[in-house]
Amino acid sequence: MQRTLFRFLTLAALLAPLDGRAELVLVTSQRSGPVELSREQAEKLYLGRSTTLADGTPVKLVDLPNGNTRDDFYLKLTNKNPAQIVAYRSRLVFNGRTTPPLEAASIAEARQWLADTPNLIGYLERTDVTGGMRVLLRLP
Amino acid sequence: MKRPHPWPARLAALLAASLCCAAAAANEPPRFALSGFGTVGVARSDKDDYRFHSSSTQDSVSPGQNFDATADTVLGLQGTGQLNDQFDLTVQAISRQAVGYNYTPHVTWAYLNYRASPALTFRVGRTTTPFFMFSDSLNVNYATPWLRPPVEVYSLNPFSDLDGIDMLYRIPVGAMDLEVQGLFGNSTLKARSASGRLSNATGIRVGLAGSGFSAQAGYTRTDLELHWDDGLYQFLNNQFGLLGQTGAQAELSGKRGHARFFSAGLQWEKNNWITVAEYARRTVDRYINSAHAWYLTVGHRFGNLTPYAMYSQQRQDTAAFAHDTAPALAPLVDFYNTTRNTAQQTTALGLRWDVARNIAIKGQVERINVAPHSRGMFTPESAAAAFKPVPPIHVLSLSVDFVF
Repeated sequence: MQRTLFRFLTLAALLAPLDGRAELVLVTSQRSGPVELSREQAEKLYLGRSTTLADGTPVKLVDLPNGNTRDDFYLKLTNKNPAQIVAYRSRLVFNGRTTPPLEAASIAEARQWLADTPNLIGYLERTDVTGGMRVLLRLP
Repeated sequence: MKRPHPWPARLAALLAASLCCAAAAANEPPRFALSGFGTVGVARSDKDDYRFHSSSTQDSVSPGQNFDATADTVLGLQGTGQLNDQFDLTVQAISRQAVGYNYTPHVTWAYLNYRASPALTFRVGRTTTPFFMFSDSLNVNYATPWLRPPVEVYSLNPFSDLDGIDMLYRIPVGAMDLEVQGLFGNSTLKARSASGRLSNATGIRVGLAGSGFSAQAGYTRTDLELHWDDGLYQFLNNQFGLLGQTGAQAELSGKRGHARFFSAGLQWEKNNWITVAEYARRTVDRYINSAHAWYLTVGHRFGNLTPYAMYSQQRQDTAAFAHDTAPALAPLVDFYNTTRNTAQQTTALGLRWDVARNIAIKGQVERINVAPHSRGMFTPESAAAAFKPVPPIHVLSLSVDFVF
């Protein structure tokens, strides 16, 4: 029994990174006020249906460069695949309803922005969170 | 269009200024974003005698059975600069074939956006008329399941620029968001055989959006100026002149028209099924006919492939010139009204293939039946074709849509 469990865990550990199942978190700079973020509000923000937090604080969003982490994030938060997200977002952007999230050139750049800029919200793999950031929401 | 665009030009200058001075510190995100979209498409019909058009504002280069690369091809660029937390500027320009085979980039958006509160936004400058559900993203084919917006509905009002002011008010209603838009402005247009102007357009649009569902309805009333410039108009106008019917002449073309536009539509996505439906009505007191149209599109997503089917139709309510006239002129008036009637119905099958990130390939076949006493969206190639009823026409279209 124990051996089976051990094998299963080993297998899970091996598969986890391949599967892109790292834990994702939504973070903001510690310079932001004592803000809170619900999963529902996060979905509204990233789908362009809101530009503020529940308490009315205007926020900006960060996107990671195209890749697994980004795709995984949108799938978990909005249940939309990359093509659906691009189609949905392009309509909002080109009809002037919303400005798209600021796209960082790299994870390192996103980390720097998120640590330094108040009222900026972004998502990272939990292991990429650095000091200067505060975790607002976990997306297991 | 030769008309100068004071608003767009001024806003573009402001945007450029915001660009140069928004040199933020390197560890802060930039305040300017540039993005774009486009379509490369070809379309052909199975009849040599008729040219297919996707709108009344373009000529088409290739008649009938030649592949025409101008009906759907479009390129757009958009820049947005954030001035501060409350103000930003957006400029968008597109290049696509306009009347006179003109590809000169046309400014479609150039406005200053002012967020008065999280719920209330004002936009001043050039925005887009919100006559239809997809008015504000007409050229962004990547964003829609179909190859092009259904022409029966979207040709009812080809005016797309709105120079003026609008207001957007957004509030949550339960799990949904309600958006109310009010607008006031003017618009000009150059079409194949006419030029026009909307003045003092006043409108309201109400939209409700939730997860996987959105619905909207809009109503606009406006003063209408419409000047026909085709040979048939000139001929009929001369005939009225010879008979001393100046009253009839004033009903054909001029500056005293009034129009009302109404549309309502919904989009629904569930379990990979996509449903889009819309109804629109144009009511005009003179110069052009009154008509209504609707469409229904249903698609299903299978991974990267989304096949869809669409039915759409347009019907005329009153003819362009609906007044009594001398009996001798009745056949001519009849013919004139036929050339101003675009009633037709389309049944289409298509496929969207999301081939790569930001790129979709689409194919569509459609059968178009033009209504009696109508020309539909086709212009005849020969005098013989001009006097015959239009036969059923099949159109094959292929396109590549992209955003960046």
